[in-house]
Amino acid sequence: MSSATNKVIKDGLWYNNPIFVQVLGICSTLAVTNNLLNTLIMVLGVSFATSMGSLTLSALRELIPRKVRMIVQVLVLSFYVIIIDIVLRAYAPTISKQLGPYVGLIITNCILMGRAEAFAASNPPGLAFIDGLFNGLGYGWVLLAIAVIREFLGFGSLFGIKIMGNGFTPWTIMVMAPSAFFLVAIALWIANDYKAKAAKRATGAPSAAGAAGAAPAKPAATGGNA
Amino acid sequence: MKINRNSVTYAAVFTFIVCIAFVVVLAIANQVTLARVQANKRLESQTAVLKAFGLADASTPPSEIDAKYKQLITEKNVNGTTAYVATINGQTYVGVELTMPGLWGPITAVLATDKAGTVIQGFAIVDQQETPGLGGRITEPWFTAQFKGKKTLPDGTIAFAQGTGKGNFDPNNGTVDAITGASRTSDFVKALVNKELALARQIGGTL
Repeated sequence: MSSATNKVIKDGLWYNNPIFVQVLGICSTLAVTNNLLNTLIMVLGVSFATSMGSLTLSALRELIPRKVRMIVQVLVLSFYVIIIDIVLRAYAPTISKQLGPYVGLIITNCILMGRAEAFAASNPPGLAFIDGLFNGLGYGWVLLAIAVIREFLGFGSLFGIKIMGNGFTPWTIMVMAPSAFFLVAIALWIANDYKAKAAKRATGAPSAAGAAGAAPAKPAATGGNA
Repeated sequence: MKINRNSVTYAAVFTFIVCIAFVVVLAIANQVTLARVQANKRLESQTAVLKAFGLADASTPPSEIDAKYKQLITEKNVNGTTAYVATINGQTYVGVELTMPGLWGPITAVLATDKAGTVIQGFAIVDQQETPGLGGRITEPWFTAQFKGKKTLPDGTIAFAQGTGKGNFDPNNGTVDAITGASRTSDFVKALVNKELALARQIGGTL
């Protein structure tokens, strides 16, 4: 594996994690994480759309005029999102019904546009694909971790399978959006604290905030964290 | 010939071609899966009708739904609305399907009652777009099971109330538990159920 690929993978999963560092895709983090199955499908959908979208946009990058690049990005990304929607409706109607409006809302996930603009627009297709995929997965593992906590405490189950007995009183707050705010904030805190300490240990000096500094996708997209 | 990538013409032509290309692929994908999607929809509707009459449950295999539906359910057109009629143990039951507004999108549900429209036989959601995990819980078995065998209140309606969160299964109190954290969805479902009850009484009177 080349060092560039290696770096892209590590960035997506940890050093430039979409949730911890770029703080993108927060809306869907709040919306779908009270149910593990929905979260898993959402994660697969986002990973598919970012990776394929980045691949396509990167392949077209020499041809796309700068003036209309965002229109083309939205078009290509929404193309993949609609494909996901069509496939789910035809082959997994139950899941399609459960996710309801959230599949269509993958397009408003800032990770898609963020990676297209920050990475795919200036990198070769293969690398852009890996970048998209691992940003999707980096977003995914954080979401799944949050979903495990929320579904377990909110319903007493995991993947819909009852874990806790009848004596268990579900924490209703865990099913509702506010709990996701608390959990995401706590996760951000732990991750960044850990990162800061690791950087300190590595260099013995506080100058190594570099890990967190490598967040190119932040400026345009954070405003619209849909 | 060298193409000027910064020209307006290039941008317009490029955007046009890209749009056409992607939209054509989507249109094809949609056409290819159309029959399947429609079959899924029909199956959903038939399953909901059978569930409302208590003739099917979650364990009924999808392959049997169509045959069962054709065998047991009669569709009747009464004053422009489709009513479902089934005879179970010599008793005639009426089912109605209605679509009414929900919080995010329309909610479609089937309600079956006795001919007089005073005892609910069952209730099933066909389609809804409520918030997953909150309003979306109206499709969960404990919620719909509350309606089974429920007598309506003297004014012919069903009341929704704050309950224990485990469901209200007393057949005589005319009340079901609403959904915690989804008051608006509960209100919409209440309106839907009561409208369906009125409609079922009306249709039941004509049979």
